[in-house]
Amino acid sequence: MFTAFWDILTIDNLIYLFKGAMVSLSMAALSLFIGLIFGILGASAKISKNRLLRILGNIYVEVIRGTPMLLQIMLIFNVVPIIVTQITGEVFRMNYFLIGVVAMSINSGAYTTELIRSGINGIDKGQWEACETLGLSRWQTMRLVILPQAFKRIVPPLISEFITLIKDSSLVSIIGLVELLNSAKVLGNQYYEFMSPYCLAGVYYLVMTLTISYIAKKIERKLAVSD
Amino acid sequence: MIKIENIVKQFNNLKAVNDVSLEIKKGEIVCLIGPSGSGKSTVLRCINGLEKPESGHIYVNDQLLDEKDSENYKKLRGLMGFVFQHFNLFPNMTVLENLTLAPIQVMKKSKEEAEQIACQYLERVGLLDKKNEYPNKLSGGQKQRVAIARSLCMSPEIMLFDEPTSALDPEMVIEVLEVMQELANEGMTMVVVTHEMGFARTVANRVIFLEDGKIVEENNAEEFFKHPKTQRAQDFLNKVMH
Ligand SMILES: Nc1ncnc2c1ncn2[C@@H]1O[C@H](COP(=O)(O)OP(=O)(O)OP(=O)(O)O)[C@@H](O)[C@H]1O
Ligand SMILES: [Mg+2]
Repeated sequence: MFTAFWDILTIDNLIYLFKGAMVSLSMAALSLFIGLIFGILGASAKISKNRLLRILGNIYVEVIRGTPMLLQIMLIFNVVPIIVTQITGEVFRMNYFLIGVVAMSINSGAYTTELIRSGINGIDKGQWEACETLGLSRWQTMRLVILPQAFKRIVPPLISEFITLIKDSSLVSIIGLVELLNSAKVLGNQYYEFMSPYCLAGVYYLVMTLTISYIAKKIERKLAVSD
Repeated sequence: MIKIENIVKQFNNLKAVNDVSLEIKKGEIVCLIGPSGSGKSTVLRCINGLEKPESGHIYVNDQLLDEKDSENYKKLRGLMGFVFQHFNLFPNMTVLENLTLAPIQVMKKSKEEAEQIACQYLERVGLLDKKNEYPNKLSGGQKQRVAIARSLCMSPEIMLFDEPTSALDPEMVIEVLEVMQELANEGMTMVVVTHEMGFARTVANRVIFLEDGKIVEENNAEEFFKHPKTQRAQDFLNKVMH
């Protein structure tokens, strides 16, 4: 077994895993970003005065948070090609990365919706009232007074969400995307030995997640100082 | 200038304001007093639309305050400034930005003009040197003076104060009351919810005593403090004055 480990530990294999890690990382980063947009829309819906929007926002959050991400990935894996074919009229060339990003963005958006909503709700009601008495519209209040204050509360959990996404991106391996976990599996198949490549993949995941939480701590400290 | 007719405001099953009517004339200074929970804040908040009464009417300059007529509603609310017990300054903005936000965004003033006006008001409340500070660097009394200046920047014709000194340390109460006294001297129409009986006595033209959401007694300040007519007002004054 230990000989196998040294066999596998070659520069080429490390680079191969690194490429897989970059797929995972970029998928997580893109999904975080798109999920943030969904989150802003979702949170706006959930706190809007319009009842229908509030209901839609609730359904989005509850359905996504109440079902397994794996199921969502499988579902989108089956649904996206149909939709794309409907729209373009051409047969959809399977793009696993794209499907992964779509699924993870929708998933992340639900969690981000709640992050943003609770960040906004955490701002003292008096801030809204002061704006109201000064004649600012709801949207002006949101944009100029509430969001800048809520931002500080939202950033730290958003970074945790990024870490979660990096780990959860491994779920997209189920549809065949060669991200970090699948890269390890490919190596395992090649050498008939799985423990070493999986351990290496674990190290790669750890490097990514620990780096981000280190940066997160620094950012948090900075935000706390300006309070 | 302000006329309230039979307003009722209910929270759950509690009638916080129960059929209150009153009138405030231009230039008048009216103090609302009464025990905790008597509905003083709620009356004040109904006047400028922060709370929506279940029934009754509010007139500002003889015009009905009606949310459905949104243009006029905005205009009428714009005539009233509101000062909160807890200041509600924007912590993410400097003092000057706190003052210029609404003039720039709502009145569409240029930044320069808004800042010039803001500086005039800061000068008047004695805080021009703090214009670039953030609110968390100010004392309670300074915060409240900034909050008053912020309201004044919108050139209100009526100022509503909800216990502006209740959250302050005793030594800071006076600096805020002085600013209010000055406003009163300049002829501002003011409605003040307060526990400062000294202020009510010396500055107010009229005192309205509320209890359980109802007006129990209403009189000019002099008379009210010297000869309260109702037993409840007498009891209340005995409690707070001694
Ligand atoms: N938003 C609210 N929701 C539920 N009940 C409320 C709300 N605001 C006020 N009340 C209740 O209405 C009653 C009147 O409240 P209000 O704040 O007007 O009294 P107040 O005279 O201003 O008292 P205080 O001197 O303590 O400020 C109180 O019993 C209070 O608990
Ligand atoms: Mg009150």
